[in-house]
Amino acid sequence: MFGHNFKYTFKVLMRNRMLLFWTFVFPLVLGTMFKLAFSNIENSEKLNVIPIAIVDNEDFQGNEAFRRTFETLSDESSDEQMFDTVYVSKDEADTLLSDGDVDGVLYMNGAEPEIWIHENGINQTVLQYVVDEIVHTSAIMEKRVQNELEQGAMPDIEGLYKNVMEQVAGRKSNLVDASRANMSYTMIEYYTLIAMACLYGGILGMTALSRNLPNMGNLGKRTAIVPISKAKTMFSSLLAAYCTQLIGLAILFVYTIFVMKVDYGENLPYVILLALAGSLAGLTLAIMVTTVVKTGENGKLGILIGITMACCFLSGMMGITMKYIIEKHVPFLDKINPASMITDGYYALYYYGVDKRFWMDVASLGIFSAFMLLVSAQGLRRQKYDSI
Amino acid sequence: MSAVVEVKNLTKEYKQKKAVDDLSFEIRQGEILGLLGPNGSGKSTTINCILSLLKYSAGSIKIFGEEMTPDAYKIKRDIGVIFQEVAVFEELTVYENIDYFCGLYVKDKQERKKDIEDAIALVGLDEFRKYYPKQLSGGLLRRLNIACGIAHKPKLIFLDEPTVAVDPQSRNNILDGIRKLRDDGATICYTTHYMEEVEILCDRIIILDRGKIIAQGTSDELKALAKIEEKVTIETKHFKPEFLEKLQAAPNVDKAEYAGHQLVITYKSGKNNVAKLIEELSAAGITCNKIFSERPTLNDVFLELTGKELRD
Amino acid sequence: MTVFKAFLHVLNKCNGMVILYTALLLLFGGINAKSGDTTSQFTADKPEIVIVNQDENVGITKNFTDYIAAHSKRKELKSEEDIDDAIFYRQVAFVIYIPQGYRQAVLNGETPELRYKSCQSADASFAQMMVESYLAIQQNYVDAALQANPDEKNISLNEEEVCKDITQTLEQTSTVHVTTTLDTNSMSKAAGYYNFASYSLLAGAIFVICLVLTSFQELPIRKRITISSMNYKKHNAILLASNLLFAIALWLFYGLISFVIVGKVMFRAQGAMYLANSFVFTLCALTMAFLISSIFNNKEAVNGIVNVVALGSAFLCGAFIPVEWLPDGVLAVGRIFPAYWYIQTNEYLKTLETVSVSGLKPVFINMLVMALYGVFYIIVANIVSAKKRVVA
Repeated sequence: MFGHNFKYTFKVLMRNRMLLFWTFVFPLVLGTMFKLAFSNIENSEKLNVIPIAIVDNEDFQGNEAFRRTFETLSDESSDEQMFDTVYVSKDEADTLLSDGDVDGVLYMNGAEPEIWIHENGINQTVLQYVVDEIVHTSAIMEKRVQNELEQGAMPDIEGLYKNVMEQVAGRKSNLVDASRANMSYTMIEYYTLIAMACLYGGILGMTALSRNLPNMGNLGKRTAIVPISKAKTMFSSLLAAYCTQLIGLAILFVYTIFVMKVDYGENLPYVILLALAGSLAGLTLAIMVTTVVKTGENGKLGILIGITMACCFLSGMMGITMKYIIEKHVPFLDKINPASMITDGYYALYYYGVDKRFWMDVASLGIFSAFMLLVSAQGLRRQKYDSI
Repeated sequence: MSAVVEVKNLTKEYKQKKAVDDLSFEIRQGEILGLLGPNGSGKSTTINCILSLLKYSAGSIKIFGEEMTPDAYKIKRDIGVIFQEVAVFEELTVYENIDYFCGLYVKDKQERKKDIEDAIALVGLDEFRKYYPKQLSGGLLRRLNIACGIAHKPKLIFLDEPTVAVDPQSRNNILDGIRKLRDDGATICYTTHYMEEVEILCDRIIILDRGKIIAQGTSDELKALAKIEEKVTIETKHFKPEFLEKLQAAPNVDKAEYAGHQLVITYKSGKNNVAKLIEELSAAGITCNKIFSERPTLNDVFLELTGKELRD
Repeated sequence: MTVFKAFLHVLNKCNGMVILYTALLLLFGGINAKSGDTTSQFTADKPEIVIVNQDENVGITKNFTDYIAAHSKRKELKSEEDIDDAIFYRQVAFVIYIPQGYRQAVLNGETPELRYKSCQSADASFAQMMVESYLAIQQNYVDAALQANPDEKNISLNEEEVCKDITQTLEQTSTVHVTTTLDTNSMSKAAGYYNFASYSLLAGAIFVICLVLTSFQELPIRKRITISSMNYKKHNAILLASNLLFAIALWLFYGLISFVIVGKVMFRAQGAMYLANSFVFTLCALTMAFLISSIFNNKEAVNGIVNVVALGSAFLCGAFIPVEWLPDGVLAVGRIFPAYWYIQTNEYLKTLETVSVSGLKPVFINMLVMALYGVFYIIVANIVSAKKRVVA
C-alpha cells in the first residue's frame, strides 16, 4: 500500500504542469535572470581605470613631479594603470567634464593644482588623493632639505629626491592580505534562489497533503475511507512530494553549477545535506499552512507563495544587503526565516567552510521543521471533522 | 434479513441547526435502500457520519455488527463510497485512477487487474481507459467516479447523488450498474432527490426532511400513507354541475373539482373507481374526450407529510 | 455598471498580490533612502574601515589610527566573524590590524607586518592606497630622524616631532571645485524608487488585469457574454475603462507614496517628469496586460506569466540593480521591454541639471517608444482576440 500510494502521488505531482512550473521551471528562469543581471556587478564595484582630463598648459609641463606621476599612472601597458588621461585645453576639458566623459579635470594654476569635478564619487576622491600625494611628496622634500640645511649640511637634493620618490611611490610598506578567499558576494543571490526553490517545493507537499485531508476536498474524503491508517497514506504521500522536491532541486543544482557556474564551496556532501534540510523546512512550512490556515486550496497556495517571496526578500533575493541588515539589526527575523537559514548555510559553507555556523543553520532548519510539524500535529492527526 | 448498518439516535449539530436529528434506521443485507429528501435534508451528513468522517453529537453507528470508527480498517475494507462530487485525479488516466483507488484496498496485483477490468466493464468506460478526466464528458466522469468507488468489490456501497447533472444515457447506465452490484450481492445505500430513481431502483425508501425520518417503507407502503388512492382527470365539454355535487357526496371521494373543461376527482379508497365513474358519466349523459388515471407519486406523499413539494 | 461591479469583485479577490508588490516597493524604497546629505561641495568618499588595534593607542600608533579614522567611516565590530561578514556583504571595505608592539618596532626603524582584509571594491582599493601612502610618509620621516642621529637610535628619535611632521604634510591638500548643482543623492533615490516601481506597476497591472480578463474570458462566461443583450463592443469598452481606472489608481497610489519616500525632489520639475514618465509606462503596462490576457486563457498560467514577464523585464532593464552595472549584452536584450525605455528616462532625469524642452528631448523620445510599444501590443491583442471570438 505504501509503495502504491507513493508511486501514484509521485505520478500525479510529476504530471501537474502548474506545480512543475513553480517548483522546477521558475527557479531556473529566475536563476538565468540573476546570471544575466549580476554577471557584471562585481567588476563594476572594483576600482576601474578612471577617465580624467589634464589641462595641458605651461604650468603643467613645467611641473616635473606632476607630469611624471600622471605619465606613470596613465601607462596603458602597466598593471598599475590608474587613469585614462587626455591632455586638452581648458575649454575642451570643461566640455568633457560636463558631458560626463571624464570624471575629473586637473588644472595647474601656477604651482597650485586645482581639481574640477562634476559630482562626488569614489573616482573623484581617488583623483584628489593622488594629487594630494604629489603635494605631500613635495612637502616632504622641502622639509628634508630644510632639516639638512639647519644641520649645516649641504643637501644632496638629487639623492634626496630619489630617496623620497622611492619611498612614496615604491611603497615598501609591509602589508599582508589576510582576507578570506571566496569573496564573490553575488553568490548570495543564487543561495536565495536555492532557498526559494526549497520553500516553493512545499507546494508539492501541499498538493499531496490536500488529497489526504477530508476537509480539503473530495479526494481527501475518498482517501479517508480507505482501510489504511491515515498516518501511512499521509506519510507516503508526503515522502513522494519530498522526493519530487529533491528532483527539482537536483536539476537546479546541476543547472547552477554547470551552466551558471555558481560556487558552493568545496564540501558537496554538506551542500546536499543543507538542501535536504532546507527542503524539509519547505515541506513542513507547507504542511503547516495546509493544516492551520482555513481557506481553500488556492488561498493556501497564495499564502504559501506570499510567505516564500517575503522570506526570500528578507534573505536578500532583491538586494543582497538586505540579508546583512536583517542579520545584524533584526536578528530575531533572521532566526525564524527558513529562507535565511538556507541562504546563510550556503554562505557559511562557501565563506567559512564546514564550521559552527553551518551546523547552527542546519540545526535551525531542523528545529523549524519540528516546530512546524508540532503546530500542524493536531490538524494532521484529526480523523473526524466538525464539518467537511 | 440481517442489518448491515445500524444507526441509532444519530444527532449531528452544526452551530445553530440540527442537520441530523435523532435518526435511527438500518440498512439490510442485500437491499437497495433509498435515502430520499430535498437538498439540505441531511442525507450527505448522515452518510459522512456513518463513514466516521464527521463528528456527531450523539448516537451510535454499527457496520457489519461492529462499532464504526476511523480506525476500523476491517470494516472499511468492505465499504465503497461514491461521493456527490467527482473525486478523481486530473493527472491520472481513467485506468490509473481506478487502479490507484482500488490499490488502496486490494494488494494483489493480479486480483486488482481483474477488479479494475470488471469495474470498467460495469460502467462502460472501456474505450476511454487512456483518457484523462478533463477529456471526459460530465456523464462519463460520473461513471469514472463510480468505478473508482466500487472497483474493490465492496459489500456495502454508499452512493451519494451519483446521477446529478447526468445525461439520460449515462443515468440509465449508472442505474443498471447499481442493480447489477446488488444482484452480485452488495448492499446499497442510495441517496437522491430524484423520486423517480428511487421508485424504480430501491427496495426500501427512507424519506428525510430536516434531519428527521418522516416516513419509511417500500414504494407501495409509502404511497399507502398518502390519503389518496387514485387521481382521475376527465376532459369534457358538456358538464353538469349537479353531477359534481353528486360526486362530492360520495364517501370514497376526497375531492372533486371542475374547471376549464377538466374534472379532477381524487379517491380516498375503493376499487374499480374508473369503471364505476364511466358508468355514472354515461348514465348522466356526459360525454368525455379523455380520461387519465394516476396513482399517487412519492411527491404526493412528501407533500402530504410535510406540506411542501419534494422538488425545490 | 454591472460589468464594472463584476470587475471590482474579481479585483477584490486578488488584492493580496497587489499588496505584496506594494510592500516590496515600500521596503525597497525605504531601504534605499539613505540619509540625504545635500551638498554641492566636494566631500571625499569615505570608505568604511575597521581598525583592529592591539597596540597601545599612543604616539605613532595613535597618529596612524587618528588619520585613518578621520578619512574614513570608522566602524566598530565586535567579533572576527562580524568583520568577515561585513567584508563579504561589502559593509566594510577595509580592515587594518595593528599588532602589539607596532609603535616600538616603527621607532626601531623596522617595517612591521600589518595584516589587512579587503573586499576588493573601489572603496577598498582607495582605503589601501590611503594606508600605504600614510605608511610611506611615516617611514620617510622616521628614516630621516634615524639618519640624523645614527648613534643613539630610538632614544633620541623624537616621536612627537615625527608625528607632527606627518600630520603637517598630510594636511596639505589641493583645491577641488564641484560643477554640479544637483543634489545627486536624492536624485538617485528618486530614480531608484521609480525604477523599482516599474516592477511593482508591471506586476500589479498584469496580474490583476490578466486575472480579471481571464475570468471574463472563461468559456461559459464568454458564451454568456456573447449571447447577452449587451453589445459585445460596449462590454469590452467598459471592461477596458475599468482596467484603465485600476491602472491609473495604481499609478496614483505609487506616485503618492513617492512623495513620502523620495521627498522634496518630487516637488521639482524633475518630479513631475518622473510622474509623467511612470504614467506613460503604466498605460503601456496596461496594454501589455491586455496582450497577455488575450493570449493566455488559463488562470493558472497567468501567475507564472506575470512572474516571468515582470521579473524578466525588471532584471534585464535595471529595475532592481543600477543600470550601469548591467552588462551591455543584457541591456541590448532589455530593449525589447518598455521598461528599458522607462528606466532610461529615469536615469537621464537623474543627471538633468535644468528642465527645458530641448533638454527633455530624449525623454519625449523614450515616451514615444513606450507609446509605440503600447500601440503594437493593442494591435497584436486585437488580432489574437479576433481569431478567438468564435467560440470553438
